[in-house]
Amino acid sequence: MASTIHDDAVLEIEDFSVDYGWGEGAVRAVNHVNLSVRRSRVLGVAGESGSGKSTLVYAVTRLLRSPGVIAGGRARLSYDDPRTPDAPRRHLDLVTATSGELRDIRWSQVSIVLQSALNALNPVLRIGREFDEVLKTHRPTMSRVQRRERARELLSLVGLNDDRLARFPHELSGGQRQRIMIALALALDPQLVIMDEPTTALDVVTQREIVNELANLRARFGFAMIFITHDLSLLVELADDIAVMYAGNVVEWAPAHDLYHAPRHPYTLGLLNSSPPLSGPRRELVGIAGSPPDLSQPVSGCSFRARCAFALDRCSREAPELRVIDESGRKVACWLQESVTEVPAPLRRGVRRDDAASVSPEAVAR
Amino acid sequence: MRMLARRLSLYVVTAWVAITVNFLLPRMMPGNPVQQLIGKLTGQITPQQVHAIELAFGIGLNQGLWAQYTGYLHQLLLGNLGVSITLSSPVSSVLASAVPWTVGLIGVSTILSFVLGTLSGALLGWFRGSRLDSVIPVATFFQAVPYFFLGTVMLLIFGSSLHWFPVLGAYSPSVTPGWHWAFLASLVRYGELPVITIVLSSVAGWMLGMRNMMITMIAEDFVLMAVAKGLPRRKVIAHAARNAVLPSVANLSLAIGLVVSGALLVELVFNYPGVGNLLLQAVLNEDYPLIQGIFLVITLTVLAANLLADVLYFVLDPRTRTEAAL
Amino acid sequence: MSSLRVPRSPKVLVGAGIVAFFAVLTVVGPYLAPYDPSATTFNANLTPSSAHWLGTTALGQDIFSQLLVGARATMIVAIVAGVVATLLSVTVGVAAGYLGGRTDDGLSLLSNVFLAIPGLPLLIVIDSYLPTGSRSNSFVIGLIISLTGWAWGARVLRAQTMSLRNRDFVEAARIIGESRVRIMLVEIAPNLLPVLASSLLFTILYSIGAYVTLAYVGLTSTAVWNWGTMLYWAQSNNAPLANQWYWFVPPGVCIALIGTGLALMNFGIDEFINPRLRAAGLSAKVRRASGLPRRPRLGFTPVARPRAVATVTARGDAQ
Repeated sequence: MASTIHDDAVLEIEDFSVDYGWGEGAVRAVNHVNLSVRRSRVLGVAGESGSGKSTLVYAVTRLLRSPGVIAGGRARLSYDDPRTPDAPRRHLDLVTATSGELRDIRWSQVSIVLQSALNALNPVLRIGREFDEVLKTHRPTMSRVQRRERARELLSLVGLNDDRLARFPHELSGGQRQRIMIALALALDPQLVIMDEPTTALDVVTQREIVNELANLRARFGFAMIFITHDLSLLVELADDIAVMYAGNVVEWAPAHDLYHAPRHPYTLGLLNSSPPLSGPRRELVGIAGSPPDLSQPVSGCSFRARCAFALDRCSREAPELRVIDESGRKVACWLQESVTEVPAPLRRGVRRDDAASVSPEAVAR
Repeated sequence: MRMLARRLSLYVVTAWVAITVNFLLPRMMPGNPVQQLIGKLTGQITPQQVHAIELAFGIGLNQGLWAQYTGYLHQLLLGNLGVSITLSSPVSSVLASAVPWTVGLIGVSTILSFVLGTLSGALLGWFRGSRLDSVIPVATFFQAVPYFFLGTVMLLIFGSSLHWFPVLGAYSPSVTPGWHWAFLASLVRYGELPVITIVLSSVAGWMLGMRNMMITMIAEDFVLMAVAKGLPRRKVIAHAARNAVLPSVANLSLAIGLVVSGALLVELVFNYPGVGNLLLQAVLNEDYPLIQGIFLVITLTVLAANLLADVLYFVLDPRTRTEAAL
Repeated sequence: MSSLRVPRSPKVLVGAGIVAFFAVLTVVGPYLAPYDPSATTFNANLTPSSAHWLGTTALGQDIFSQLLVGARATMIVAIVAGVVATLLSVTVGVAAGYLGGRTDDGLSLLSNVFLAIPGLPLLIVIDSYLPTGSRSNSFVIGLIISLTGWAWGARVLRAQTMSLRNRDFVEAARIIGESRVRIMLVEIAPNLLPVLASSLLFTILYSIGAYVTLAYVGLTSTAVWNWGTMLYWAQSNNAPLANQWYWFVPPGVCIALIGTGLALMNFGIDEFINPRLRAAGLSAKVRRASGLPRRPRLGFTPVARPRAVATVTARGDAQ
């Protein structure tokens, strides 16, 4: 599985690290992360605020603001150049790319939707201008009429009437604005769309509608997606794979359903227990005790140790690395998965989360 | 629309306050300055003129203050601002010949200064931390120099020493005023140095204000989005600048008064035949009717300019046009 | 508000230095003056020399003495006007912002009216009616200037108060039942300090300009030496056209310098109020060592040279 990921990857992030600040005062926000997104697939990235999930994605796209600094690694984008459709797939390491190369692939290959569409849209421009500008910049051969037509078509994709084009952002509802951002993100048929908590600012009903629409649009147009959220239950509906981040590290990376139903990292388990289930009976929500570590203080061993109910002696000495633990390609960074004994019931291989509560003593012994 | 209506009513109130201050000041000042003036002028002016002054300032009248006030307002409505003591002609006609010069000079300078300051401020904000930052202390210095002092220095260096610009007056004495090319060219030529002076003195305010707003705007998401869209740099800057300019325009109406105050003195330095020059002559000669008339006209002109600036803001910010949003 | 950490950028330090210099000059200037600034005992129109550092006026007065003595009146008027105007603007601004409702409407209207009336022409009109005795009184002039200079500060303070009013700690004080006056003085006022300081600097700056202008126009007593009066005499004796730069340039430069100093200090306060204006605190040296650009560029996150490289080369000798 691991090898096939590489063949059709849109974005491969390797050994990627991000610091805030530099020199002595630097704080490591993303720590040697490896991730990849396959063509037409959705990678969900989950974690609490401060886990480094947004930092990672902004740094990869080189959009991270000062004092963010890429401290090392590669981020290879693979894409078909629309200008030379017959040429082989092109590869660009975003870390070493020049500003011209970046400008070229931005929006045409990688587009982004932010949490607050109200902030992401220029408050003094009509919606139509946003579409027009993007098309004009990247598709210089399009005529004014064609651009207008394309904008209408994009709005209808997200279920909006084209009279919205003449509106200003403040005249629209939160849901409409976010739909417009999504339509805008698809304007140039990009290979990859990054969604940074696009539904967090919306009410639950709108959230649901938008996630469904995204799933449909993805099925129709086949773009890959990185979907960042702290809400794992939302992810499982949309994502093919989910990576869970904690304190700048990827602690678990697995196919979405496997991760959701059978988490193998104690932090993933905690996250799942603290978010409401998608369906089925209501369950008591349990938060994760403690708070994320202060990244400016160096930690020895596993960064989740202090909050982990299952911590071993080893966890305070050595930091676990992300390793493949089973044939599905699932990767976990946890010593529990490497010690043959004492794996706690809910995290044990082959055990589903929903069944864990009813795991019998015999099952543990088996 | 409500915002404009509110501003308009503010200006109406302001105009009323200015008129009332104008009416009350000479009547309330200790030492009765007008009476003293009349004493000084006895023999130099005709009894009719004395009578006119007395009428205008409510001296020796058997009228109550209120009756004087309504009479004063009535005369104002008729456009009667009294008679200048030293020039012996109606204040309104004296002003009519001076106002266009001032409006032209200060209007052109203010627009130039605003445009230049805003553009350079946008660039300074965007390229913060670059070598361009060294402009800031220099600009701050020019902002702190009194207009009239800068004017004097400019006049001395570029006018009377280097002879790059003609000095003193609004046009060459050798051309006759009128709508012909020679006169207009002379007008521009003579206006250059005063305009440069006013722009240099006032540009820093716009520049630094715009720079600060630009830096604030760069931290906004929509500017980052403009980058994420792969727009060329000048378009990204335009996105930020388009929003950063709004507070500057909002401040424009407040700053016009300050600029006008400073610029009036530049007229004195360059002997420009505008209202500022006239005001200072009137002050020197204690020509009270003229002083008052000038104050009123300046105030009303500034208020009109304020209203224009408000209209500009209204046009530039779509959010002001939606009542519910504010 | 827990730490009043005013950024110590070079701009602020230079500004504070300039202002401190002129503050000292205000106190000691008149004692340092070598001659009586009004004495007409010297030859007229002398060029600068060791006896008269800045030459003499057309009346034979020592210009350097005038400059030193003139610092005091200029600064006193500016400080009187600045302090009175700031007191006015705090009173009006905080009351309007905190009390809201009709009080706010009325006070806002008042300050907007004062903002809209051009200040200098109003000053000139008021001043032209003043009896000669009052024109030599620095306090009277200062008070009149403050009358035209308080409105801007009131506006800014009102906005700041309104935003503070809804913060949690003010809300809490209100629920506990503290009196309005106490809340305004104890809870709100300290949090207005940076805005207040900025407003004070600006009104002082404005007042210097206004006073000097009035003096230059001849509307203050010419017997009181200040930098504006010096410019008035220089102008009326045609010093600029006679190329007597040493007569009119020094007072003008002093005015500009003190103004620059105040404005530079204000940069520091601006950066304190609006953290976005602060440059990220980093040394250029570290930046260069890590291979980072001088200046952050939006949408082009820099890539640091790996720190390991530096250590490897350092160890290179041993290998």
